[in-house]
Amino acid sequence: MKKFLTASVLGAAALTLAACGGDGASGETKGELTVGGKNFTEQFVLAKITSLYLEENGYTVDEATNMGSEVLRQALESSQVDLYWEYTGTGLVNYLGQEPVASSEEAYNIVKETDAEENAIEWLDMANLNNTYTLMMQQEVADEMGISSVSDLAEYVNSNPGELTFASNAEFASRADGLAGVEETYGFEFGDANIVRMDSGLTYQALNDAQVEVAMGFSTDSRIIGFDLLALEDDLGFFPAYNAAVTVRSEVLEEHGELEELLAPLAELLDTETMSELNYLVDIEQQNESEVAKEWLVENGLMEE
Amino acid sequence: MSRQLLFTKIFKWTFTLLIVIFFIWAFTGGYFQIIFDRPQQFFHLLRQHVLMVAVSSALAIAVAIPLGIFVTRPKFKKLEWIVLNTANLGQTIPSIAILAIVMTYLGIGFNSAVFALFAFSVLPILRNTVAGINSVNPSLRDAAKGMGLTPAQVLRKVELPNAMYPIMAGVRTAVVMNIGTAALAYLVGGGGFGDYIFTGIVMRSNEYLLSGAVPVTLMAVLVDYMLRQSERVLIPKGLQRSAPSDNGEAA
Repeated sequence: MKKFLTASVLGAAALTLAACGGDGASGETKGELTVGGKNFTEQFVLAKITSLYLEENGYTVDEATNMGSEVLRQALESSQVDLYWEYTGTGLVNYLGQEPVASSEEAYNIVKETDAEENAIEWLDMANLNNTYTLMMQQEVADEMGISSVSDLAEYVNSNPGELTFASNAEFASRADGLAGVEETYGFEFGDANIVRMDSGLTYQALNDAQVEVAMGFSTDSRIIGFDLLALEDDLGFFPAYNAAVTVRSEVLEEHGELEELLAPLAELLDTETMSELNYLVDIEQQNESEVAKEWLVENGLMEE
Repeated sequence: MSRQLLFTKIFKWTFTLLIVIFFIWAFTGGYFQIIFDRPQQFFHLLRQHVLMVAVSSALAIAVAIPLGIFVTRPKFKKLEWIVLNTANLGQTIPSIAILAIVMTYLGIGFNSAVFALFAFSVLPILRNTVAGINSVNPSLRDAAKGMGLTPAQVLRKVELPNAMYPIMAGVRTAVVMNIGTAALAYLVGGGGFGDYIFTGIVMRSNEYLLSGAVPVTLMAVLVDYMLRQSERVLIPKGLQRSAPSDNGEAA
């Protein structure tokens, strides 16, 4: 027992030293921050970028990723996480209980104002990164049927009812601002028997394997590029805005006043296309998130080699 | 003994009461609203769930019982160890992992789900078939041989009827487990009540959760009861126990 204790104390000491030894700035940290992240690639990358960037700027950073939205939000409210990238649409619908908004600017303004007032949570600059729902088809299949927008799809489904099957995850299939809303806005219906529900990440695969003709996905997902899929144009502007922005508790922002300005360049540089490419490097080219995040920071002059 | 009976009675009544209270709570809370709002969808999922369980269970029974008979023949006794351990191994892989592995070969949807459920159901039936046949009293076998029955007749008239209780217990275990496990089919797009259950988890909606979980539970109870009743048909009168059955409940 004694031996074990000594060993663990030594081990802990070694780890602490190793952790501090990284940037040589041990003891002079500007403060400790915990960066959170959800449970999909984009969030791993965003959390990594933010952590590395904050460390570069003199903070001691802990990472807490791989959480579901609700859990992560609760962790932020209960001070277990200090900041993370949230999407305006999610904030609006899931946390503030409001109707989704299709305009990016409008959604951001509402969520920024309301969240600060009601929950003391600040939304920093909004990135031009809109990770919203999208309906996808295989490029050739879509060409064959002459479909390039959701309106085209609605027309096709109405003239060939029951022909197309649709892959969706559980959430999209049952949310009011999900499938039901799309069908109502565009005036068509797949029909219960033609909807296949599955785990989120599988819809792209199902489409690629031609198990279904149409599938839901997220606009920044790398597999749209990777599998050469067509994201149908949301011509009636139904899908709510899901722009990413750093959310942080007001008290943390008061304590570290520079955070807003410090993180502004990230929001500036991360747009939908950039994010899709970063996701592609991790998902399809199997690169490590840390490497991808570091390279991107270095490339953009936000971090020393 | 009478005290024990009293306790059993009290327990049974309390349990029944709890179930009744649960259903009253669920109905008044509108937790089954999903089913009443979209009956078409509900029946679609029900059909998928039943079909998945039926096909995979039928396949498992069709494979496991003959295999069990095969490895208990004196000529092939050597194989028993290998076959049982292979089936054991199949059982130790988590069902989600089987689903994931199978998906890469059979694609997304019904087929993958059925195969995974099948792989999961084979072992309990196989194990009980082998154990059941091995536990048949050797003097019964000898007597049958002495009367001039062929090995096939011994199997049909002596071994199988005498092993029917354990075999049926294996089938019941497999099918009831299967009904619950089939909820995982949602993950690979196989449909069934897992759609509601997982929607409930993701959206934190008790309506979806209960609309999926309660039908699954009821289905399991109902199928178990039906299989118990079928024992009366499958097992010859002379071998039926009037005493408590294999798991200590009054039959």
